Amino acid sequence: MGVGTVAAGVAKAKADVILVSGYDGGTGASPRSSIQHAGAPWELGLAETNQTLLLNDLRSRVILETDGQLKTGRDVVIACLLGAEEFGFATAPLITLGCLMMRVCHKNTCPVGIATQDPRLREKFAGGADAVVNFMNFVAEEIRETMAKLGFRTINEMVGRVDKLELRKAINHWKAKGLDYSAILHRPDVGPEVGTYCQMKQDHLLDRSLDNREILKRAMPAIENGQAVNIDLPVINTDRVVGTITGAEISRKHGPNGLPEDTVKINLAGSAGQSLGAFCPKGMTFTVTGDTNDYLGKGLSGGKIIVRPPEDSPFVAHENVIAGNVCFYGATAGQAFVSGVVGERFCVRNSGVHAVVEGLGDHGCEYMTGGLVLCLGKTGRNFGAGMSGGVAYIYDEEGDFVSTKLNTEMVKTYPLVECDDHEIDLIKSLITRHVEYTDSPRGIDLLNDWSSAAEKFVKIMPEDYERVLFALKKAEERGLEGDDAIQAAFEENVAAGH
Amino acid sequence: MGKPTGFLEHERQSIPDRSPLERIKDWKEIHEPFDEDKVRQQGSRCMDCGTPYCHTGMTLANMASGCPINNLIPEWNDLVYKGKWRDALARLHKTNNFPEFTGRVCPAPCEGSCVLGVIEPPVTIKSIECSIIDKGFAEGWVTPQPPARRSGKKIAVVGSGPAGMATADQLNKAGHLVTVYERADRIGGLLLYGIPNMKLEKEIVQRRVDLMAAEGIKFVVSTEIGKDLPAKSLLEDFDSVVLCCGATKPRDLPIEGRELKGVHYAMEFLTINTQGLLELKDVTAFETAANSKDVVVIGGGDTGTDCVGTSVRHGCKSITQLEIMPRPPEERADDNPWPEWPKVYKMDYGQEEAKEVFGEDPRNYLTMTKKFSGDDQGNLKGVIICDIEWKMEDGRYSPVEVQGSEREIPAQAAFLAMGFLGPEDTIAEELGLARDSRSNVQADYGRFSTNIEGVFAAGDMRRGQSLVVWAINEGRAAARECDRYLMGETSLP
Ligand SMILES: Cc1cc2nc3c(=O)[nH]c(=O)nc-3n(C[C@H](O)[C@H](O)[C@H](O)COP(=O)(O)OP(=O)(O)OC[C@H]3O[C@@H](n4cnc5c(N)ncnc54)[C@H](O)[C@@H]3O)c2cc1C
Ligand code: SF4
Repeated sequence: MGVGTVAAGVAKAKADVILVSGYDGGTGASPRSSIQHAGAPWELGLAETNQTLLLNDLRSRVILETDGQLKTGRDVVIACLLGAEEFGFATAPLITLGCLMMRVCHKNTCPVGIATQDPRLREKFAGGADAVVNFMNFVAEEIRETMAKLGFRTINEMVGRVDKLELRKAINHWKAKGLDYSAILHRPDVGPEVGTYCQMKQDHLLDRSLDNREILKRAMPAIENGQAVNIDLPVINTDRVVGTITGAEISRKHGPNGLPEDTVKINLAGSAGQSLGAFCPKGMTFTVTGDTNDYLGKGLSGGKIIVRPPEDSPFVAHENVIAGNVCFYGATAGQAFVSGVVGERFCVRNSGVHAVVEGLGDHGCEYMTGGLVLCLGKTGRNFGAGMSGGVAYIYDEEGDFVSTKLNTEMVKTYPLVECDDHEIDLIKSLITRHVEYTDSPRGIDLLNDWSSAAEKFVKIMPEDYERVLFALKKAEERGLEGDDAIQAAFEENVAAGH
Repeated sequence: MGKPTGFLEHERQSIPDRSPLERIKDWKEIHEPFDEDKVRQQGSRCMDCGTPYCHTGMTLANMASGCPINNLIPEWNDLVYKGKWRDALARLHKTNNFPEFTGRVCPAPCEGSCVLGVIEPPVTIKSIECSIIDKGFAEGWVTPQPPARRSGKKIAVVGSGPAGMATADQLNKAGHLVTVYERADRIGGLLLYGIPNMKLEKEIVQRRVDLMAAEGIKFVVSTEIGKDLPAKSLLEDFDSVVLCCGATKPRDLPIEGRELKGVHYAMEFLTINTQGLLELKDVTAFETAANSKDVVVIGGGDTGTDCVGTSVRHGCKSITQLEIMPRPPEERADDNPWPEWPKVYKMDYGQEEAKEVFGEDPRNYLTMTKKFSGDDQGNLKGVIICDIEWKMEDGRYSPVEVQGSEREIPAQAAFLAMGFLGPEDTIAEELGLARDSRSNVQADYGRFSTNIEGVFAAGDMRRGQSLVVWAINEGRAAARECDRYLMGETSLP
């Protein structure tokens, strides 16, 4: 399957834990087709992963975990013998809490009060932590009994001892005929110097990070006293997750609201490594003059990120890639102004960032649930797949976006010029700010000829989101506020059968 | 599912009953008409569970849990909610040949296993089932559907209870020519001469029989196989025989005074009564009638309830129902969790009526009948009973008399409703059918074939006294096996 190769790669890249997650698990909220027909058994992936890690002497520095419908002590022992030392349980403990496998985890109607926010249903919750503890005690007891039979005293001794697994003779189903399990039950012949379970911690070399070397200490006046700082630094592509450690300190000290906008300004010149600005809170502003790698602004939580080409660069920004793939994945808040094209999967699962770019790759805004994306250039295919919230505006110069690029399953489109003035002004002001931050020639051109440029913008709006926003507005007009208004809007939608 | 929040918005409401004092004045069904919108609302309470139990028909702790004929309940609940009645009817008929019977008399093991029942009163599945089929008939959607082609095979079905009717219906659909033999003067088995009008009006049974006749099934009444016609002749004249003769042999109570005038089997009482009603006779004029008498019903099951309801309608002077088991708890006991059949205290229609008339639930729990006492003319005059306790003896519970609790209650009529022992012996002996330890005809569930080639058995005759819904289940499945036997393959479900 290749999962072993991937595991060896991430072990070298300093992963602490590798999880092989089998196909039989998963949320009850997923579609039936996925529940039944996606993925592969953990047994296969786990065996291959453990063997590859052993052969490359990487096993001893990672924790290997597996999950996927583990329910009994016997399951755990088998997983351990195949190479795991940590084990994930979900369904079985949920059942002990009262889960009835309704598969409505996403509908707020869980009748036993587990996966719901509805107070009427939460009241029905009859379970308790004791039940889970009790269940786990049974699992542990069964593990202990089996270990005693096999002659093991500790889990560590048992990890990867596939030689203790015996094939059941009784399986004479016709489908089992001709199957060869030896690859799964193989135990690599490695010397005693190779550790067979996790024995040491990964050295993440954090002391060599740009944050620990420079940024954090220079940001101290801001973190301690809220004093604005300006940090100018060169950056190269081995500087990964720039700013994140500093961001963590800000969050630790100032909580989720961070600092006032632009308190910590980090100005970088060069080519930034992966995950620049990941998870950074409000108050941090990154200006990268150059380019950035993948995962720019991943999980961004309020910070601001500006990326622009150097002033003297000869190429056309809106036709050239300036940031890698999966930028702003899972971001929850913040702003981004990127003068150039970004890679694939831009703003996937974004729930709050407002981002301006000049072009993006395939699968833009997939599974987006909130926030705003303004793209001043071309997009790749499958834009807006599974997009259930937020809004996007695309400058569709050639007029083929909707017919060739957009995934229309969940979204509607409108010409921007048909939206109300307030909305048109918002887009114009975003472009104005984009130009202020990045000197974007594309932005300048659009503003110079705004009345005809505006004609070419398409607004992409998820259908469900639009309806809920409308219901919310109505609820607010009735005088409801906050959570009450949201609940009313939710109920109105459910009652309408959505 | 149409409405995820239906169960949060609407409370359970079943088809309402007429008031007891009103309904005991007649022999009509106890129900009132049910508003269509209400039924739709009730359909919306179905949660379309990811893991439903209502349709499973499992046996848990020896009781049915979930619908034994695997009715596609969540599907038709949803269709009803959406007002797609005709689709709902088609979906219902896929698994149930006679929803108008089960919708009225089934104890609804589906509802006992309904997931909603974990937190709230369950979906009123049975009422919805009944409403679908009643609407189907009212709208004229249920019409004869004779098979397009005939196979040329001939099958005899003996016994016309729900098992025999279901077998006949299925085999006819498969294109075989079916003849149903019934010893009574009318078709229906216990649906007719067992279950009283109050639960199931006899026009409803006849309506289905007429429909089946129009589809090509031949019904022969007043013909007892083994007496009027030898069973062996069926083996010669037909390609296959399916026996559905029920478990009609009643359990007796061989105690002192059993021979006294006034002591009857419940079935005698109920059958004569129904027959009298069908023939428009005065049912209180029969020797078995209960009017102006102190009545004792021995046995606390469905049959006993029907005796209570019938006696009340006759105008009995008093009524007592004796039950040897303890009174069930109000709520599920710890050893009786969902989705098991809930063994809880219920007020059935007969007891409810007796309570309205006489002021109290007629049931006496933990009582045993010791003897019947009579006058010098040999008429029943009283029943001598005592209280009992269940005591563990030699590893099993047995009833032990409570000292000093013996007493006599006055009675001029006593009805024995203590269940049934098994099928009668006539056919079994004539054909040499193998029997199981409980005297039922031996045939494995799922295969239904007896020890005689080409002879199948289904319903109460095979499984012992049971329920209409199980009879339909077995009848359908036996038809499938019979079809497979005749044709080498089958497309019957
Ligand atoms: C009073 C009473 C009330 C009940 N109430 C309910 C209820 O509310 N709900 C429920 O689900 N179940 C109820 N039951 C049980 C239910 O009626 C039976 O389980 C069901 O009818 C069995 O169906 P069957 O077709 O196997 O047999 P039966 O309905 O007993 O039919 C057997 C038929 O075979 C005929 N027969 C027998 N021998 C011969 C022969 N040699 N030749 C020709 N014909 C023959 C009999 O005359 C009879 O008509 C009740 C039973 C009784 C007695
Ligand atoms: S036949 Fe009985 S168990 Fe089945 S759905 Fe109808 S009422 Fe429920």
